[in-house]
Amino acid sequence: MSLTMNLYLPIAGNSVNCLAIFGLGGIVGLLSGIFGVGGGFLMTPLLIMMGIPPTVAASSDSNQIVGASTSGTLAHFRLGNVDIKMGFLLLIGGIAGGTVGVQIIKILRQLGNADFLISITYVLMLGFVGGYMFLESLQAMRKSSQGRHTAPSSKKESVYARMVRTMPFQTDFKRSGIRISALMPLVLGTLVGILAAIMGVGGGFIMVPVMVYMLRMPMHVVVGTSLFQILFTCINVTVMQATQNHTVDFVLALLLLLGSALGTQVGAKLGKKLGGEQLKILLASLVLIVMFKMLFDLLVQPDILLAYMGGH
Amino acid sequence: MKTSNHIQFAWLSVLLLMVFPCLSLADETGGISTTPTSIEMGAQYDGINLKVKGTVPAGSDVILHLTGAVRDLHLRQKGKVGGLLWMNVGTVTLTNVPNVSLIDTSRPFSELGGVASPFRLESLRNVIKIEQDTKAEQIDIPHELFLLKKHERLYNEAEKGVHLGPVEGSISSFSAELAIPSALAPGEYQVEAIAIKDGAVVGKYATTVRAELIGFPKWLSKLAFEKSLLYGILATVIAVFAGLAIGLVFQSKGAH
Repeated sequence: MSLTMNLYLPIAGNSVNCLAIFGLGGIVGLLSGIFGVGGGFLMTPLLIMMGIPPTVAASSDSNQIVGASTSGTLAHFRLGNVDIKMGFLLLIGGIAGGTVGVQIIKILRQLGNADFLISITYVLMLGFVGGYMFLESLQAMRKSSQGRHTAPSSKKESVYARMVRTMPFQTDFKRSGIRISALMPLVLGTLVGILAAIMGVGGGFIMVPVMVYMLRMPMHVVVGTSLFQILFTCINVTVMQATQNHTVDFVLALLLLLGSALGTQVGAKLGKKLGGEQLKILLASLVLIVMFKMLFDLLVQPDILLAYMGGH
Repeated sequence: MKTSNHIQFAWLSVLLLMVFPCLSLADETGGISTTPTSIEMGAQYDGINLKVKGTVPAGSDVILHLTGAVRDLHLRQKGKVGGLLWMNVGTVTLTNVPNVSLIDTSRPFSELGGVASPFRLESLRNVIKIEQDTKAEQIDIPHELFLLKKHERLYNEAEKGVHLGPVEGSISSFSAELAIPSALAPGEYQVEAIAIKDGAVVGKYATTVRAELIGFPKWLSKLAFEKSLLYGILATVIAVFAGLAIGLVFQSKGAH
């Protein structure tokens, strides 16, 4: 008796192997659970490689991230790793930034250099974020292994720290254990939203380093809060794409979700076992791998010089 | 005057009688049918092998061609920027592009001669209209389109896949299997057999095959396109509940 594992997806207009999609969801979910990133920058290109049209791949991925980030947020919430107040402020900023970013893209497209700028921004952002995180975590790990302790109080206060301290609307973020101006997450959320809209991604891999280095939040709270924020961003994207472009393949999303929700749970537990620095260095490595892959794609001639619209 | 009219009518009748047997002969000597007669795209659809059989005048070779409706395509063109980076450099609009074009023959094209050329994939170059971004580098757009479509298995040009049967009187049978890809869009498709003999087309026989969604894919597609807001909300709510359910399952496991 032969049991076919293929399933026809009417919105994607193609059939897929259920196990392959489930496995893909699982791997990306694992990364999402460990690092608090949506994983769209990995999932969408892999779905396109499996024969899913780019626009359907991106929209259905957003739909599955809704489920995966619900599961991930729940797991991190139980572990006390979700700063809801911070998450909402970042989200408001992110939505405002996303709206501005879409307008910027429109202007860039009219000027004719949009794709060039997007590609360059992508590679530079990934390289900068990944490189900085990698080196910083490496230094921190070396220091801790050598048993050297540097008292933060002995350091001279930086201009950035002074600026943050003197900003109005100082607020306590108990879960994160920090006191900063409420304007900070709003402004940073807006900037990440702009970049995410320009690059056409959810922005998790930019938001996480921003929370770590600019908001000085503890790494584990960063992961939970990032997933919480991603959940709302992706709900918005899913409903918008379903109503305006009819590109959400719910069956594909559900298959990915089953894999990714399980992966996220495992990832959240695995992340708990890893130290904050280890988490940072692993995320930095992942970001750098994606950056090198993008750079490779930019430097090597593609097999086919025409492509469908949509995707990254 | 009347007499000359009668003479003309008589001549016309004789001519028609001479031509008509040929036309009826064509009907008798050629035909085409497919199994299945329609393509049902249910949840388990993963492309099918469409069996095509028919008859052609004895001694003919056969070119089999499955083609779909024409549509417009908006594509991105990739090119080199600054002599270093490959990226999207412009857009290309193609009109009159058949969404599917699957070709197979009973003999290699090289042996069929020039008469077979209009039935080759390359002949689409004369049909497809191209609007290219003037700023972008000029490339062989049809060639790249063929590569793109072949990658999706929507375009294919095979040879010797059509098997000719024994000659029975003035006809011979043929049979073939066309690999219908899973990426086929619902719609009507024409399957045509072109009979070629002694360097000339001696017959064309066509039938249509309808590809349609059935069962769950049909229901889902209808919901997504006709009640898109409900579909979007449902997709979101189900995703949230599925995520919560999996989270709760893990919680209960973790409690032990």
